[in-house]
Amino acid sequence: MEPEVIEAELVLPIHLNFKRIQMYEKYPKGQSRGRHWKHLKQILQAENYHNYSPDEPNYVNIESPPSMHPCKRICDITGYEAPYYDPRTTLRYANADIFKVIRSLPNEYVQRYLAMRNAAVVLR
Amino acid sequence: MPFVSEIQRQSDFNHFPSTTPIVIDNGASAFRIGWAGESDPRVIFRNIVQRPRHKATGETVTIVGDHDPSLLKYFDCTRSGPRSAFDGNVVYQFEIMEYVLDFGFDRLGANGPEIDHPVLITECVCNPVQSRSKMAELLFETYGVPSIAFGVDAAFSYMYNQQLGICDKDGLAICPGFTASHVIPFIDGEPVYKGCCRTNIGGYHVTDSLKQLLSLKYPHHMARFTWEKVEDLKMEHCYIASDYASEAQLFQKGTKEAEEKTRCWQLPWIPPPTEEPPSEEEIARKAAIKEKQGQRLREMAEAKRSSRINELENEVRGLEFLLHQLVQVAEDDIPSFLSETGYISKQEIESALTKATQSLRKAKGEPKDEQAETEDHTDATNEKFHLINVPDDVLSPEQLKEKRRQLFLKTTSEGRQRAKQKRYEVELERERRNQLDEERRMENPELYLEELRVKYKELSEKVEHRKRLKTNGGHTNGNNVSGGVGRGERLNAAQRERMRLLTTAAFDRGKGEDTFGARDEDWQLYKLMSKDNNDDDDEGPDEDEAELVRLSSRLQGIDPTFVPKSDVQPTEMPKFRPLTKEDFQIVMGVERFRCPEILFHPNWIGVDQTGLDEMTDVSLRRLPSYSDDIAERLTNSILITGGSCLFPGIRERLEAGIRMIRPCGSPIRVVRALDPILDAWRGASVYAAGSQFTTQTFSRMDYHEKGEDWLRRYQLRYSL
Repeated sequence: MEPEVIEAELVLPIHLNFKRIQMYEKYPKGQSRGRHWKHLKQILQAENYHNYSPDEPNYVNIESPPSMHPCKRICDITGYEAPYYDPRTTLRYANADIFKVIRSLPNEYVQRYLAMRNAAVVLR
Repeated sequence: MPFVSEIQRQSDFNHFPSTTPIVIDNGASAFRIGWAGESDPRVIFRNIVQRPRHKATGETVTIVGDHDPSLLKYFDCTRSGPRSAFDGNVVYQFEIMEYVLDFGFDRLGANGPEIDHPVLITECVCNPVQSRSKMAELLFETYGVPSIAFGVDAAFSYMYNQQLGICDKDGLAICPGFTASHVIPFIDGEPVYKGCCRTNIGGYHVTDSLKQLLSLKYPHHMARFTWEKVEDLKMEHCYIASDYASEAQLFQKGTKEAEEKTRCWQLPWIPPPTEEPPSEEEIARKAAIKEKQGQRLREMAEAKRSSRINELENEVRGLEFLLHQLVQVAEDDIPSFLSETGYISKQEIESALTKATQSLRKAKGEPKDEQAETEDHTDATNEKFHLINVPDDVLSPEQLKEKRRQLFLKTTSEGRQRAKQKRYEVELERERRNQLDEERRMENPELYLEELRVKYKELSEKVEHRKRLKTNGGHTNGNNVSGGVGRGERLNAAQRERMRLLTTAAFDRGKGEDTFGARDEDWQLYKLMSKDNNDDDDEGPDEDEAELVRLSSRLQGIDPTFVPKSDVQPTEMPKFRPLTKEDFQIVMGVERFRCPEILFHPNWIGVDQTGLDEMTDVSLRRLPSYSDDIAERLTNSILITGGSCLFPGIRERLEAGIRMIRPCGSPIRVVRALDPILDAWRGASVYAAGSQFTTQTFSRMDYHEKGEDWLRRYQLRYSL
């Protein structure tokens, strides 16, 4: 290790005195282990919230509902208010100049703009 | 205000008695650890872990938090990026969490056999019990922590500000965080989780959308937009517009105000060295050098030529002398004489002589006598081909051979003559036609020009169409000149024909045994196939092309506006505009308020939930003890805390937004927390230092005895 790296104590030491079980004991090297953690979705599924009273607050039911207000549409490219919508690319746009831009955009960029508002075509 | 981490190792760990709790604010963006009762956390760092490979030794190491980026050059970070223990705002990867805690405790100065201090650690609202129990397990088993308490960061922040008199006992905490935003109602200083609501939008999403927008806007500078840099840009320049629509209008109209609000980030750019046009002197000097070089080359060529001429002359002289001597030598001595010279016969010497004289003539630049000979042919035909008219039976075999040769020679020379004649006739014909054209032009120049143009156009179209057919197989899309057979490109006619033949050969003979080659006709296939594209060119296009050339030359002569359509599309290279300073500017206009606006309109990034202002309403409605009186009391003390409330203008915007939703005349007071980022830790520190803290913790024994269901209901009492 380079002296300045040691100086900065950049690297976490392998052995730490204050730990009862060291990392290398818990996860021995060279042993392949499968995924030992769950994603949030799986965690929430395992919580079985449906078994509990809906009056009890839990991680799922405190989520806020969809908005009651009509959503404002903005131009995907510029962020201006967008009265128009291009049926070919499904992008929203503010005026004719931006429409020209949209029509000249390569498909990859169109998809990236759409992906920003989670509307891109996802191929599985 | 860029994020600054504090990772100095503390040295006074052992000075604290084991009853002093350690307070950890475990946020999705930053990890803060310190001692209860103190005003500021001791150690702060980004809650991320990197596992790069050390380049020199090749071992995988663990790096927690953010460090001086210049030190990371010793590590190969390409395999793994920074990883977080959080999915949303819930801790789910406890291996990473362990690294983070290791680092945190290590920097706090821990060095005993275990962490012998109670721990107060924050978690999200309604943390799933699985995450909570895993965290407890980790702290108990691995670090030997005697007791733990879990609390919510926003609640600590509210409590802390309440103690400072900034907000009331009853109120709302709006906490836009890093991965999620919460609104938590407080009644009598206690959070009411029933009335709580969460939208999964936070500072992470703001940075992410800014990063994406900028990299879409400036694809050439994509590499500049690292997460850290964009985070800094966000913190420095983003603000919340008081009214998005009107603010955007300003920019759309390009008003002066908008110009002032536009920020420009100049990337490092070095102007290219300007090339000065070479001076007169320089040009003259260069020309002189060129001339000198040319002169030298010419001299060299001249010297070479003269030496060659010299050589050849010597040779000729020698050979002539040899012949001269040969005449004088006696008949019998010839062979012995010749053997000395290296020649076998007199003929050989003679042929060598003629060869030498010929090359000498050539070297001297005299015209070859070949030409002269052909001219002579016509006159001397009869003499040369004297054997032709003699009947065969009169001639000896040798003469017969000679006659055949003469016959051949004669026919070729006649053919040449005929061709010459034909050329001459064609020339005459053209002349005649030109003359006719000229006459017609004189009669009516306008009409003639028009006709010519039409003709030219038709013809050029015809020729082009034919060409296209040949190269591109009727594919009318003219922009494809490559002619290669790539994906989506049509085959040309010859290639298509070959394909057809191959497929018929492959599929027409039935499924049984392969009988190809049994019949002789089968092999004709290859002949057909190898037929090159040019073979099926008939005279047609050539004629057309010649006519086209004639027309275009004619048009060029009389029509000043005429521009001939060039045969090959001029493959003009796209002109490279010299890069200017402006090309290295990142301009942030609408983006400055568009990105933080997603906190109020989550559906702009595809999250179908209510925004911050509407969340307060949702939260109030969810309150079990909802009444107008309570609602009024709550809205009179709205505290905003959390990292994402640092955007300028958010307080005013929230107040306006909530005023629009709440009934007319209801009292609305929105205040910002004293320090939206650190107040949660400070609140927790004060809380942990309180005398009642020990009643709120649970030990390892409790955890094992009471079980998971108890842990699920475990809830801190904040108002002690």
